[in-house]
Amino acid sequence: MVGTAAERTRSTICAVASAPGAGERAVVRASGPLAFEAVRGLCRDADGQPLAPQGRGLHEVQVDDGVGTQPALLVWMPGPGSYTREDVAEWHLVGNPALVRAVLRRLGELGLEPAGPGEFTRRAFENGRLDLTRAEGVLALVEARNSEELRAAGSLLAGGLGGRIAALREVLEHLRALTEASLDFDQQDTGHVPLKEISAALDEARADLLEARTWERRRTPASGLARVVLAGLPNAGKSALFNRLTLEGDEHRAIESDQAGTTRDAKVGRLALPGGQEVLLVDTAGIDPLAEGVDAMAQDRRDLEWERADLLLELVESSGNQAASDNPASGPGIPRLIVMSKADLALSPHDPGGRLRVSSHTGSGLTALLAQIEIRLGLATQDDTPSRSNSGLERQLSERHRKALDQGLQELAQAQALLGEGAGLDLVAEALRGAGLALDRITGQTTPEDLLDRIFSRFCLGK
Amino acid sequence: MTRFTHPHATPTSDGQLDLDLLVVGGGHAGIEAALAGARLGARVGLLTLDLERVGEMSCNPAIGGLGKGQIVREIDALGGAMGRVADATGIQFRILNTGKGAAVQAPRCQSDRHRYRQDATALVRAQPGLELIAGGAQSLLLSRAEDGRDWVVGVRTEAGQEIRAGATILTTGTFMGAVMHTGERTEAGGRVGERSVDGLTQSLTSLGLTLGRLKTGTPPRLDGTTLNPERMEEQLGDATPQPFSFTAPEGIFPPLPQVPCHITYTTDATHRIIADNIHRAPMYAGRIKGVGPRYCPSVEDKIMRFPDRDRHQIFVEPEGLDTNVAYINGVSTSLPAEVQEAFVRTIPGLEEARFERFGYAVEYDFIQPSQLSHTLAVRDVPGLFLAGQVNGTSGYEEAAGQGLWAGTNAALWLQGREPFVLGRHEAYLGVMVDDLILTNPSEPYRMFSSRAEYRLLLRSDNADRRLTPRAARIGLVETERGQRVEAKAERVRQTLALLDRERRGGHTLAEILRRPETTLDSLVSAHPVLAGLDPDLIRTVEVEVKYSGYLQRQEDNVRRAARQENLAIPDDLDYSRLSGLGGEARERLSQIRPATLGAAGRIEGVRPPDVALLGVHVERHRRQRLPAEK
Repeated sequence: MVGTAAERTRSTICAVASAPGAGERAVVRASGPLAFEAVRGLCRDADGQPLAPQGRGLHEVQVDDGVGTQPALLVWMPGPGSYTREDVAEWHLVGNPALVRAVLRRLGELGLEPAGPGEFTRRAFENGRLDLTRAEGVLALVEARNSEELRAAGSLLAGGLGGRIAALREVLEHLRALTEASLDFDQQDTGHVPLKEISAALDEARADLLEARTWERRRTPASGLARVVLAGLPNAGKSALFNRLTLEGDEHRAIESDQAGTTRDAKVGRLALPGGQEVLLVDTAGIDPLAEGVDAMAQDRRDLEWERADLLLELVESSGNQAASDNPASGPGIPRLIVMSKADLALSPHDPGGRLRVSSHTGSGLTALLAQIEIRLGLATQDDTPSRSNSGLERQLSERHRKALDQGLQELAQAQALLGEGAGLDLVAEALRGAGLALDRITGQTTPEDLLDRIFSRFCLGK
Repeated sequence: MTRFTHPHATPTSDGQLDLDLLVVGGGHAGIEAALAGARLGARVGLLTLDLERVGEMSCNPAIGGLGKGQIVREIDALGGAMGRVADATGIQFRILNTGKGAAVQAPRCQSDRHRYRQDATALVRAQPGLELIAGGAQSLLLSRAEDGRDWVVGVRTEAGQEIRAGATILTTGTFMGAVMHTGERTEAGGRVGERSVDGLTQSLTSLGLTLGRLKTGTPPRLDGTTLNPERMEEQLGDATPQPFSFTAPEGIFPPLPQVPCHITYTTDATHRIIADNIHRAPMYAGRIKGVGPRYCPSVEDKIMRFPDRDRHQIFVEPEGLDTNVAYINGVSTSLPAEVQEAFVRTIPGLEEARFERFGYAVEYDFIQPSQLSHTLAVRDVPGLFLAGQVNGTSGYEEAAGQGLWAGTNAALWLQGREPFVLGRHEAYLGVMVDDLILTNPSEPYRMFSSRAEYRLLLRSDNADRRLTPRAARIGLVETERGQRVEAKAERVRQTLALLDRERRGGHTLAEILRRPETTLDSLVSAHPVLAGLDPDLIRTVEVEVKYSGYLQRQEDNVRRAARQENLAIPDDLDYSRLSGLGGEARERLSQIRPATLGAAGRIEGVRPPDVALLGVHVERHRRQRLPAEK
């Protein structure tokens, strides 16, 4: 491995380089000084030994994801002959989201960091791989990716994490202000804060962060597959459509019933699209604004499913007299596709509004529906539709969020341990700063000036 | 000796420049600036209004404190005077924050105000190549250079004398456009009994510089013989006082007798009198436009802003051994004299107090420091440097640190040598200068340890190892002192290696020492292999071992940030033509014109995507200037 000292201090980044959702194969790419170590840590050769690639080339390897091994292709491109001019490794894996996730987790353990938007390209440029004319393209890309990320992050944060982070930040910064005031003012001064007060605030911050992480974990899908969520009034035919579309043998079949309000919990199944990709289909409770008790819990669960949806499939009975626009399911920001259900019970054979009509009973319209889903999710190969889903980017972002929350928790646990064993408060403060930095990665930054503002608004300081 | 060049200064009639370096102002910034310049071989003049007030402590008679004690140690490590003068004239020494971790511990002392001034003046007078000049600066002397810019080539004094110099450092403190307030009374002047300097403000404005207005204040001084110590708590110094200076001579510390301070508190009656008269305070009557510091609020501010507090702490500090004057720390005020008398006498111990001097607020001009470069040179006016309170800071220590920094850089600039700029990870001084340039202060800037993100690396115990060898390399301290510190650093390394090597019961001594309950002292007595470590070494090695994981982490962070930190932004980059920057970022960047990508990222309103974009633009800019390469 070659590289100057300056290059070695750079981080090594990794990301999924293939399209979102489950295809036949997935590509994970890593670039930076640790790429070689990552290959050694992750790949076994035919004899089961850690692989040490000798130069540019293709290797058939077994990838150790921490549970077992899986066959994969490794493309090894040592710098400076690679795209980024750094050492680059690419793993071509079976398109199994769980495996991809395990590989990313493993890379994280090996010290690699998730790539920011456009970061591979930016490195390529900074390392002199791209010429001036192409640099203009990079700029446009970085700008576009920035605004795209902002939009995606915005929609994620609007989904509930933002509010939690804001509350969490409030608690954490209060804690940091207490600690810093105690450090910046002497025992004799009024800025001094008793350790007991700091300890109590720390417990509170940790409990809140734990809650936020649990929430975020529950909210974001365990799978890398895009989610198509069924919505509509009770008895609009959601469960029938779910059962008709999901793959045979799937464990989570929805209970089908023509008694309105049968589906209380969300059901999840796999849906195969014509192009070979898979997505998740989710059945939720029907919309009932008057729900109470157990039903209200089901409604909460449904709200959660909507927030994490990549596409809402909104069912309206063809025979009904309810207009789609009356449907309270039309939440802002979530891409939706309106589908007229129970076509077999319709009075006229075609929808007057030209909308998609399907029948779970006869199977009519289902092929067209699947093609529509594919296009709306941006999974179709001839994709040129502007309303492409952001799902892949959002998924990467939420992965980053979870990582940041995990790290914040780790730092707070460390701070608690230090406080418990009577270590210097300056070390406790260092761990708290680490927790603050972790949150900074989700929302903007806190400056020392913000912290001082807090200190001065609370304490009457100064001799 | 390195030659000094003055490419744009016009020689006087006899063909000679008067000076290499002219320092305007004899306060804490001016002293360090002049001494540093002279140590680097410059012919230095120090122009001051009053030769008797060089090194005056305008406010409280104390040096150091949290965040500030570290600065004094850094000044000392760089060869400055403050630590030595404080050691020689201290009448009570304490290490603050001893219970809170090594990184935030800091030395502080009460000083004999009169002796401090005497000692500082003596140091200045004894420095070869440094000349004291009495007088006030009326205006800057300018010379139009070939590049069309006005270079500063000295000052014209109020007496009409022209003093020409290759570089000029203004350390005018609170004396530019200074107005003092006591109740309804307002008078011009930067300190009681001293006048204001008014011409310079106009000189600076006509150079296109943006000025602002700040406020600070002082408490009353009382006759100590009229106070009742029985009614107050006594506060003593440390049993084993520690000096500021790394060069303190052994055995005779502290040289002066030590005295106690006293602690007392405001009462309900105090609060009532102040609240009843609040309309007579200049701040509340709207007569003061400047913004005062939040960390050192006036007593009227404390009472109005924190009405739920039933009392505020007051320190009664002696001003010296040969004076009865006591400084009443904690009741800075600009209320009318009769109100001051009334409320002070409601404070336990001060009931019979006789006033030596009333408290007052002072308003003064400062120069928005975002117009400076990291050498403290004014960016668009060659030959002019600024240091101290004139840059919007507060405190003797902050001022002295800037003085040393500006004096050093002005001399290096005249010699055509590389600037001496310390980073945020190298010194509190580096944090301060970077903060000043990137954020225009909205209140007088004071150092806090929370401003230093690499605080664990910037301890008062390692200031010499951090800075002295570097100072020796440029000639700011003697080579021999630099070597002594290098030898100490080597002893620290060897001791650390020994602790990592020696094992007891399956653990290295370092691992044992890392346990919270173990101290290096206890290890030394238990393990003969460690015998003979000197106490200074023990202190610093113990911190290095106990903090090793965190020190490593901060050092890693420094390394990670280094690339961005070192990527230079061309000075003539046109931000208005960079597409994709956020509106606020564009405005702030155009105004401050940061020197590096790292500095750009620290400016308020500049977001990470802005920095990423800027990075790409800078790289493109750099390449366009290179000859075509294949």
